[in-house]
Amino acid sequence: MRLILEKRAETPLAMTIASPLIAVALTLVSAAVIFLAMGQDPWAALHVYFVAPLSDSWGLQEVAVKATPLVLISVGLALCYRSNNWNIGAEGQFLVGAMAGGWLALATHGAPQGPWLLPSMLVVGAIGGALFALIPAVLKTRFGANEILTSLMLVYVAELLLDWLVRGPWRDPQGFNMPVTVTFEPEAVVPLLLEGGRLNLGTPIALLVVAIVAVLVGRTLKGFEIRLVGEAPRAARFAGFDERRLTWTVFAISGALAGLAGILEAAGTVRMLQPGISPGYGFTAIIVAFLGRLNPVGCLIAGVFLAITFIGGENAQIMLRMPLDVTRVFQGLLLFYVLACDTLLLYRPRLVRSAAA
Amino acid sequence: MTLTRRHLLGTAGALAGAAALGTSAEAQQRLNVGVVLIGPVGDFGWSHMHDQGRRRMAEVLGDRVNATTVESVAPPDFDRVVTQLVRTGHRLIFTTSFSYFAPTQRLAPQHPQVFFENATGPTTLPNMAIYNARFYEGRYIQGVIAARKSRSKTIGYVATFPVPEVIHAINTVMRGAWSVDPSMRVRVVWVNAWSNPAREADAARALIDQGCDVLCSHTDGPAPLQLAEQRGIFGFGQASDMTRFAPRAHLTSSVNNWGDYYAERARAVIDGTWRPTDTWGGLGSGMFRMAPWTNMTPEEVSEAERIRDAIASGRLHPFDGPITRQDGTVVIPQGGRLTDDQIRAMNYFYQGIDATIPS
Repeated sequence: MRLILEKRAETPLAMTIASPLIAVALTLVSAAVIFLAMGQDPWAALHVYFVAPLSDSWGLQEVAVKATPLVLISVGLALCYRSNNWNIGAEGQFLVGAMAGGWLALATHGAPQGPWLLPSMLVVGAIGGALFALIPAVLKTRFGANEILTSLMLVYVAELLLDWLVRGPWRDPQGFNMPVTVTFEPEAVVPLLLEGGRLNLGTPIALLVVAIVAVLVGRTLKGFEIRLVGEAPRAARFAGFDERRLTWTVFAISGALAGLAGILEAAGTVRMLQPGISPGYGFTAIIVAFLGRLNPVGCLIAGVFLAITFIGGENAQIMLRMPLDVTRVFQGLLLFYVLACDTLLLYRPRLVRSAAA
Repeated sequence: MTLTRRHLLGTAGALAGAAALGTSAEAQQRLNVGVVLIGPVGDFGWSHMHDQGRRRMAEVLGDRVNATTVESVAPPDFDRVVTQLVRTGHRLIFTTSFSYFAPTQRLAPQHPQVFFENATGPTTLPNMAIYNARFYEGRYIQGVIAARKSRSKTIGYVATFPVPEVIHAINTVMRGAWSVDPSMRVRVVWVNAWSNPAREADAARALIDQGCDVLCSHTDGPAPLQLAEQRGIFGFGQASDMTRFAPRAHLTSSVNNWGDYYAERARAVIDGTWRPTDTWGGLGSGMFRMAPWTNMTPEEVSEAERIRDAIASGRLHPFDGPITRQDGTVVIPQGGRLTDDQIRAMNYFYQGIDATIPS
């Protein structure tokens, strides 16, 4: 007797939408069991985790701040993954965006500045991320190099480059030799939008990006091309779509969005460059992209959900004195359930007798 | 008017949330103390010992305090964590890394009713104190022991970042070793991380391959010491008593003890006597101690204890002259002594150190 997975002939649309919701529900149930095992009241704990972050204006703003980079990056990654381009290096593109835009802030530090500075930083950051993402794209189309490996390895290149810059040429002379740049001038900082919170201009930008990409995917020829190349590459080739150019396009877009997220984070929440500027946003965004079914609006919802689990994890440490590892376990469980639900959605498990083999 | 009401409703919501967490009226009397950690509680080094300090404070003050730890807080999350601590009624907040110095300095004026304490920061504010320990005193003792133990006359130092704190620690190892044998040398490998076990082990391996037979380490974990154990040489533990990680290689560890300081500061807030102080405590103040001497002969132990007591009582000062820089110039002549400010700004290596400071 053994268990095999058989591909299902078709999957109902309702189940495709329900699958991530089932995964979330299973995560919540598992969470309740874990809380119970840790001697906490599961209702109170779930409240701290998932409701408290949303219970007032400050909390909502913090969720938006935390979700913004995740959403921006994952929307770009979704385009890549849909067209079978496996960009795993968004973390590196995020850092290069932060460095490229940050360079402008540092170059003009102390000099007269104007309202042009911040928009230019955002543009330069996006371009930096896009160029960095084009490296694995070109390696793939020119040499057939596996983009999973090249994009991932470039993350370390970006990390080390940032490390070197803030220790060497860009180090704050008054920083006691610590690896930090100077704090950006007010003109180089992303403006806050509301009193009593940290919501900044990055969030509306991310929402705009979600809307634009949703239209691009759903309503344009380019979007059709992206979907077709992913789902039926042979048909796409017959239709005359240039697969190489598409690879460049999606890598450039996702790199630009990751770079934009990077400079928004550097100039928004951190206000300087330093190692550790990203707590793994580029990798977490991969989870977000899949949780959001590689759909821009789905990525928005998933990004917000993951942001809540991060902040809920902090709340649990502060209010319930639970360790950080619990948050990590949750995120692991969530990904596990998403993948499990997806697998069962596409495949039917069946027991077969070993004699048949 | 509407805004005010909404604001009030928001506060009520937050309070209801807090009530659901079991923050009863009686607990409101207690002082809530928050500790923000740069690394995980389980690093067995820097962050671990700050968490131990929090536990010690809670033991000493019992039901007069509630203590909260938030671990592995990355720079983009720091503002939110501190604000959340303030919102949940924490009135004394320890931010336990130099990386938090600039953001703590930015946030402290926004919360004038809250007392902040930053570990290893350089300046104070009306509601922000700074604190650190004179770990270099332990380094001097390590230098002496290493010089007694080493056959190759070469000490290896697994270093983190070229900041003055680390540079003067390496220098005092050299100074301690000089006092036994002026022909001693120190080799340095920069790991460029406070905690990265794989790179720490690589650095230790490189140092041993270059002939070092006693290892000092500035990183948070036991990886270099474990490698010393594997390769049959000696090493020192860092931050906590690391005997159990290397029972045959471990000589001694500088064990951080923040708990008494934390308890004293929390008591000061409760009593209303808190001041924005600048504390730099050494062996004499109990801010750290030397862990059990292991794998040492009775003569070596008595020498180490004699030096420890001399430093603790102020009879011996690790920064007494003569001190010669790498390039041969004398920085402090015989009879002179570096000031605290000079120690904190130290940016050069002593003679005998085979390394350069990355610029």
